Amino acid sequence: MEMLLPAIISGLLMGMIFALVALGLAIIFGVMNIVNFAHGEFLMVGMYTAFLTATILSIDPLLTLPIAAIVGLLLGIASYYLLVRHLLKGPMLAQLLGTFGLMIFLRYLAMCIFGPDYETLEHGWLIRESIKLGPVVLSPPRLGTAVLSVIAFGIICWMMDYTRLGKALKATALDVEAAGYMGIDTERMRGLAWGLGGATVGIAGALLTNFYYVFPTVGLLFVMIAFATVALGGFGSIKGAFVAGLIMGLIIDLGGTYIGPQYKFALIYLTFFLVVVIRPKGLFGW
Amino acid sequence: MRTLKDALSFGDLPASERIGFILFIILCLVFPWIAKGFAQAVMIQFLIFCLYGLGWNLIGGYGGQVALGQAKNVGMSAYTVAVLMVWWDIPFWVSTPLGVIVATVESFILGYFLFRLRGHYFAIATIAVSLVWQQLFINWDWIGGARGVELPLKETPNFIYMQFDSPIYYHYFAFVLVMGAILFMNWFRKSRLGYQLRAITSGEDVAESLGINAHWVKVKAYCITGVFAGMGGAFYAVYYSYIDPFSVMHLELSIMIALMTMIGGAGSMWGPIIGAMILIPLDRYLGAWLGGRGIIGVDFMIYALMVMIISAYEPKGIWGIIEKARRKR
Repeated sequence: MEMLLPAIISGLLMGMIFALVALGLAIIFGVMNIVNFAHGEFLMVGMYTAFLTATILSIDPLLTLPIAAIVGLLLGIASYYLLVRHLLKGPMLAQLLGTFGLMIFLRYLAMCIFGPDYETLEHGWLIRESIKLGPVVLSPPRLGTAVLSVIAFGIICWMMDYTRLGKALKATALDVEAAGYMGIDTERMRGLAWGLGGATVGIAGALLTNFYYVFPTVGLLFVMIAFATVALGGFGSIKGAFVAGLIMGLIIDLGGTYIGPQYKFALIYLTFFLVVVIRPKGLFGW
Repeated sequence: MRTLKDALSFGDLPASERIGFILFIILCLVFPWIAKGFAQAVMIQFLIFCLYGLGWNLIGGYGGQVALGQAKNVGMSAYTVAVLMVWWDIPFWVSTPLGVIVATVESFILGYFLFRLRGHYFAIATIAVSLVWQQLFINWDWIGGARGVELPLKETPNFIYMQFDSPIYYHYFAFVLVMGAILFMNWFRKSRLGYQLRAITSGEDVAESLGINAHWVKVKAYCITGVFAGMGGAFYAVYYSYIDPFSVMHLELSIMIALMTMIGGAGSMWGPIIGAMILIPLDRYLGAWLGGRGIIGVDFMIYALMVMIISAYEPKGIWGIIEKARRKR
């Protein structure tokens, strides 16, 4: 029992970051029905951006958030206009393998530049000793990044619901043709969805750098978690992504505690598998 | 009889393709006599990948289903062969059919559940399943875990264990497997199953309304893909006499097979062979050249660029370009 409460808390904290990672994937899938395999690599780019700016300029990793967001935004927009726009004309095989190619390209580009080593940040405002509260040990970087990812998630949610831009994005997601008739530049909206997806995952990457290793193949792990999260929440559902992110965090930490840490990622994949087979729509899918 | 005739007759193909095929056979037959060492090893690699690619083309090319889990079938069969030999000294010719059966049964069970999904969901699910398998194999101590399995070497070259002192034998064995695969594909593209599968690719709902059981056809095609991967895996185990979960179960292998077929031309008879002919030598020589200089990753970046360009502008691959050029003439 004394293991249960810490596992639940650490799972929920991690789950909030998973939700932010999955958010970008959900937006892109919702707006244009294409799965971005390179999403994990966008996260990796965000992580390296934060890591490099923090070490080179020797500033606090939290201050790198806007830079990582801008890099992610540009990366997303560039991928849309240079690649994805052309992929959409082709069959599904081409769409899948096209973003897959982007994923491999970015991953090995990072491998080529940075080598396969694991790096960590050692200094930062959040990076400090754990706080003990009774049986629960709270690690400040995890707590802080979780709070910040919920805030980022909230801002995007608010933007989608209450701004003209968000409404236009939603309209494009529901019906491209009708949105076009209403005077929405759907092509721009699609590019923007990719930009937004890149920016959110860039922020998530910069947050993760506070306590997670940075290495070129970090993307695969997180993209699989994000796929599982998005599938569980329902492809394209933003609120679903949040709830599912929390559930994923719980599964990883409870599974790691009670079954064995070497199986926790197998559990994620298994969850994904069961979700898509039993309830392909997900919890909140439409 | 009809089946055999279909498999052996290439009469419906244009003369240029038939000439190309004969040149390919001649090249494969004389290659071990003109090239030794590294080039020969690359050639055997090429033949193994032809086998994987021809199999993947069935489900990925003709079937249009992006299955990214070939590596697990390769791995299961390779592990069956290796483990049976290490533990009970069972010869290659007995363990290979068992390995192929394991790979096929796994494909069947998985396909039965996964083909309820379409498109993206299916692709991601196959990745998820193969990652689960890899994790399990890494943590499964009885079959060596992350250390892998080493096949014990016999003192003398031995046909029943497929252990030879010269790679020539492996070359010709792989060549026989590839020829079998090509003849099978030649039958397949004219078969009922082949037409059904292509009908599903071009419009699943329409195909179903014509009375084709789409789910069942896809499961069958996926099983055949599993057979091909299983044969390749069994051969891999005896050829390298060492396997581990990173060489045969790895996602990169599955990706490589799919990329190769896509670049060559998915859904065409010769596409996988053309893809393997370009990618495998490029991979090995470039890998060796760059590895010697301490540069890693450039080779994969080049394939990734090729795949991005091809999927954006010519989704039918190099074969599509050839066909377009031919139609213009």
